[in-house]
Amino acid sequence: MSPVIIILCLISACLAFTMLFAKSPITSALCLLGVLIMTAGIYGMIGEHMIATIQLVVYAGAIMVLFIFSIMLLNLGESENEFKDKPGIFVLGIILGLSVFGLLAYAIVHYFNQPTIAKKMGQFTPELISQLGGNSKVLSHALFSQFYVSFEVISLALLVAVVGAVVLAKRKID
Amino acid sequence: MENTLIFDLSMMMAKILVILAGTLGVVPIMVWFERRGAAWMQRRVGPNRVGPFGLLQPLADVVKFIFKETFIPKNANRFYYLMAPIIALIAPLCALAVIPFGSKAIINGHEVILQVAQMDTGVIFILAFAGLEVYPVILAGWASRNKYSVLGALRGSSQIVSYEISMGLALLSMLVVYGSFNPHEMVSWQQGTLGFLPRWGAFVNPVGALIFWIAIFAETNRLPFDLAEGESEIVAGYHLEYGGMKFAAFFMAEYVAMIMASGLLATLFFGGYGILPGMSTLIQAIGSHFAFGEVGFQNLKAAFEFISFATKVAFFMFMFVWIRWTLPRFRFDQLMDLGWKILFPISLINLVVVTLGVYYFNS
Repeated sequence: MSPVIIILCLISACLAFTMLFAKSPITSALCLLGVLIMTAGIYGMIGEHMIATIQLVVYAGAIMVLFIFSIMLLNLGESENEFKDKPGIFVLGIILGLSVFGLLAYAIVHYFNQPTIAKKMGQFTPELISQLGGNSKVLSHALFSQFYVSFEVISLALLVAVVGAVVLAKRKID
Repeated sequence: MENTLIFDLSMMMAKILVILAGTLGVVPIMVWFERRGAAWMQRRVGPNRVGPFGLLQPLADVVKFIFKETFIPKNANRFYYLMAPIIALIAPLCALAVIPFGSKAIINGHEVILQVAQMDTGVIFILAFAGLEVYPVILAGWASRNKYSVLGALRGSSQIVSYEISMGLALLSMLVVYGSFNPHEMVSWQQGTLGFLPRWGAFVNPVGALIFWIAIFAETNRLPFDLAEGESEIVAGYHLEYGGMKFAAFFMAEYVAMIMASGLLATLFFGGYGILPGMSTLIQAIGSHFAFGEVGFQNLKAAFEFISFATKVAFFMFMFVWIRWTLPRFRFDQLMDLGWKILFPISLINLVVVTLGVYYFNS
């Protein structure tokens, strides 16, 4: 592993902890943004430029802007007192988080070097992908030919979600 | 093996240096030109005291900026207040890494591609960093704890987010035409002619080019869309509380974003580094006069490609200044109407039309 990746991992871990324990909501939001950008950096360092870019466009460039925009609009900085830790929920959250982390770590450690994984490799190898003209080309080709029905269905689901959000918000305003 | 590593590293550093020095070096010239150009368009004299034609005025400005007192408002959130101008400069500079400024030069028997980062996502990467340009506006406005700053930040961020949609759709219509994210492939697609015109994206898809051009004015917060600053309404908007070098960082960021946007516009719609019409005969003439070999020809071509690209970028920078001093500022509701009710539907229709056209011509 290259030292750059380790540095990125360390920074993103620090940011994640700051996000958890920060008092002001805007610090939390910005730390989350930092974590997302660092993750994009890690993706970029291992050569997965497509995922890194999508991470930046979708999460850092769109979703976090909404978060921070709404924090600014509602001026949550004033109500920092409501952001206090509630011990019961906090402990429960830590226990749940640790158990999920433990399960994931166990699964990765236990199954990572198992020969079954190697046998289940897909048809795409790095050589084949570069021969076909790069990750983005292969991905878009798969997305818009082989999986176009599921792609369209997902966009329909997003449309339903948007309509649902509008309906819910409208009822509140009326 | 060791030698190629050092060679690659030094080439990479050289390319980064070219981009960085070129961009940041153009900023003072642009500042001078903006003020002198404004004066010229308004039949004034403009700054003409420092140096010949006032050319040393930016230098004097920089000295003033550096020696100004560092002032941070008492109520400001210190950390975010100082962070905003840094992000403002980083985001457009990162995006510049993907814009190619020439095809390839041959140095020491190695091919050097004249682009800092070769990624297979190319143009989308630029879009990603253009999306990050919202944060300095939001952060600066929020951290200053000033009503005008917050107003400017809200205006600026909603404007950038709204126009990003039309910009993305215009970009998408060109991606459909080129069938690639790679800027080099885009440029090579635009070689050749379309009747008497060069086969540039702007002539293939004029509506998309126009929408993209309008959208980058909003993205870079330039007049007629500089609602985020709006001196006559909200003093200076999001960077109201900034002084000295911190203000200069925002100022530089605006020009870097303009250069980045001009480079992107040139690459997508105006042939990128593809040599300007008529230059190929010049290359032939110079090359045969000095009896260049194949390597020499390639390097000469790369130099002319760089000149063509710089010319195109300079033209669009001039347009930025020209339009700034020609059109009055929009009102905020007019801006949003233009973005959502006019540009957005037109860019959607344009995307459908272009897709059908590409389907028709390809089959």
